[in-house]
Amino acid sequence: MAERLLDIRDLSTHFFTHAGVVKAVNGVSFTLHRGETIGIVGESGSGKTVAAMSLMRLIPDPPGKIVEGKLMLGDRDLRALTDDEMRGVRGNDIAMIFQDPMTSLNPVMKIGKQIAEAIVLHQDKSKSEAWRMAAELLARVGIPDAEKRVDQYPFEFSGGMRQRAMIAMAISCNPDVLIADEPTTALDVTIQAQIIDVMREMQAQFDSGVILITHDLGVIAEISDKVMVMYGGRTVEYGPVDEIFYNAHHPYTWGLLASLPRLDATEKARLTPIKGQPPNLITLPEGCPFTARCPYRRPECRDQWPQSETVGPEHGVNCWIPEDERVALRAELRQFKEPAA
Amino acid sequence: MSLLEVRDLKKHFPIRTGVLKRTTGHVYAVDGVNFTVEEGETMGLVGESGGGKSTVGRTVLRLTEATGGGVTFEGVDVMKASRSEMNVLRRDMQIVFQDPYASLNPRMRIRDIVGEALKIHDIGTEAERKTRVSELLETVGLTAEHAERYPHEFSGGQRQRIGIARALSLNPKMIVLDEPVSALDVSIRAQVLNLLEDLQDEFHLTFLFISHDLSVVKHISDRVAVMYLGKIVEISDSALLYDRPQHPYTEALLSAVPIPDPHTERARQRIVLEGDVPSPANPPKGCVFHPRCPRAQEICTTAMPTLAITGEAGERHEVACYFPARFTGDQRTVSSEPFEGSRPVAQS
Repeated sequence: MAERLLDIRDLSTHFFTHAGVVKAVNGVSFTLHRGETIGIVGESGSGKTVAAMSLMRLIPDPPGKIVEGKLMLGDRDLRALTDDEMRGVRGNDIAMIFQDPMTSLNPVMKIGKQIAEAIVLHQDKSKSEAWRMAAELLARVGIPDAEKRVDQYPFEFSGGMRQRAMIAMAISCNPDVLIADEPTTALDVTIQAQIIDVMREMQAQFDSGVILITHDLGVIAEISDKVMVMYGGRTVEYGPVDEIFYNAHHPYTWGLLASLPRLDATEKARLTPIKGQPPNLITLPEGCPFTARCPYRRPECRDQWPQSETVGPEHGVNCWIPEDERVALRAELRQFKEPAA
Repeated sequence: MSLLEVRDLKKHFPIRTGVLKRTTGHVYAVDGVNFTVEEGETMGLVGESGGGKSTVGRTVLRLTEATGGGVTFEGVDVMKASRSEMNVLRRDMQIVFQDPYASLNPRMRIRDIVGEALKIHDIGTEAERKTRVSELLETVGLTAEHAERYPHEFSGGQRQRIGIARALSLNPKMIVLDEPVSALDVSIRAQVLNLLEDLQDEFHLTFLFISHDLSVVKHISDRVAVMYLGKIVEISDSALLYDRPQHPYTEALLSAVPIPDPHTERARQRIVLEGDVPSPANPPKGCVFHPRCPRAQEICTTAMPTLAITGEAGERHEVACYFPARFTGDQRTVSSEPFEGSRPVAQS
């Protein structure tokens, strides 16, 4: 078994606002190993970004607070670190790539300087050496004329190149864990394909663990090893990518897969949306947050959160419907694909 | 006669610089676009950002004035219509915008947003308009009580329903849908797409559906036009275009879309295009796609190929490429001889 990089247990992050307590993340657990990519999928407000920000301890406090949970990076307890120690972890051990490369780069600082900054901070390197490394990194993520490009500002870069620069910055200190939050969402599809390729290459080269946050199940299918499906701040299902796509057990996962218009559809079929609206994170029920929209809800769903139940190798689901009933229900779903032989 | 005919449509935005604001160049947002839309069908306009899709939608409605070319709607020349004629035309041609947050006035009640067009066109009495607004809200899956609320009280999907109700208020014949589901989550997106399909059946609507999402366009469109740097590079019946793309850009686009099926994904060969989309202010000479095209040859740098029919007789499949893919049975071939149909006629 590969080295375990992250072990997250029962993470809960809440925001204490005037309108009430926003329960953004409620008891999320997962582990990340070296060389592994975990995809976190969910819709807006499902808590995927807040979960990742909690790992980086980047939740603005107030109003946000990690109210519970154990966050272990190797044998270090991230919650017990001082702010100074945490700064040493960020960028060095855990690095993050954000969705919008325009707002996450400093517009008035040269690209080279932004990359070199992290290198000087975390590795005992001189400025000129760091600058040379920045150019090398840019070349490595596929930016042509890297020598010239380090001297330019973000506005001189296209969206795809900015995201490459962000990746260069993230890998500059060879982090163990790379968190990518919707890294390709703001990009055109042909550029997205380029960036996914770069991310794959970098992971292979550095053997890091990647947490990929996205709402795009296509991207998940393409690069994840494991998938965590989140809804209303909870993990409703977790498992290897094939299990989630071909052997899903949670009604929300079924709903997500059925609601997608697909490029590989051979005939025109009506989509099956999930009824209702996304949940209000202030008034979440004690039990399953999907209850209100679940077509198979039962009396116990609203008030009690079900324990995770193992339904396959490393495949867990949190649902009150008994396993045999779930399997029967799933067999009825038109859109549910059986595993290809 | 087609409901909408777009002929050689051009929209060039001037680039002004300096204190005197002299025009120093142009952004060729739309540069010679031709297509027709039949009554009751959905025409999809697809392509990446900067391709000119949204500008086509806006120019067709004269929300922005075209630089050249013509648009006719039910045989009426839209470009030459006077202000009062345009008012009449606008009843039949409506638009739904992408951003459900920016396209609804936050200070107006839903009743006034949805009923605004009725008031402007002086349709019905106050009471009749009120009934009509309630009816419209119910048509799009909301309730009459929602009329008294403000936009901030609604989720993204609900707001988009309000935008659709507003577009429907004058019983239009055609609606331009500019990325109507791009800002929505997947489960909500499917709700809105189904709603649009139902409305089309019920009211016999014609849609011009603009989107960068190839899966969504495939799902909803009868015909599809692929745009790149202000030009249509391929246009065809939806099934044909997705099944047998002929233009190398269409092929690359389709192959770049990740499919939510891990087995399919692992087996796929992806065409990864190099570089970025060039700036529409300085489009490449010759075929606009040639700097990124894996099939580009000498001839591609000389002149932009024109749209021409390559498919079997009776197939409405047009492509603007000197080296389009051809299909015989399941066999795909690319000829080394330039396709004569796309060779532009020398201008005299």
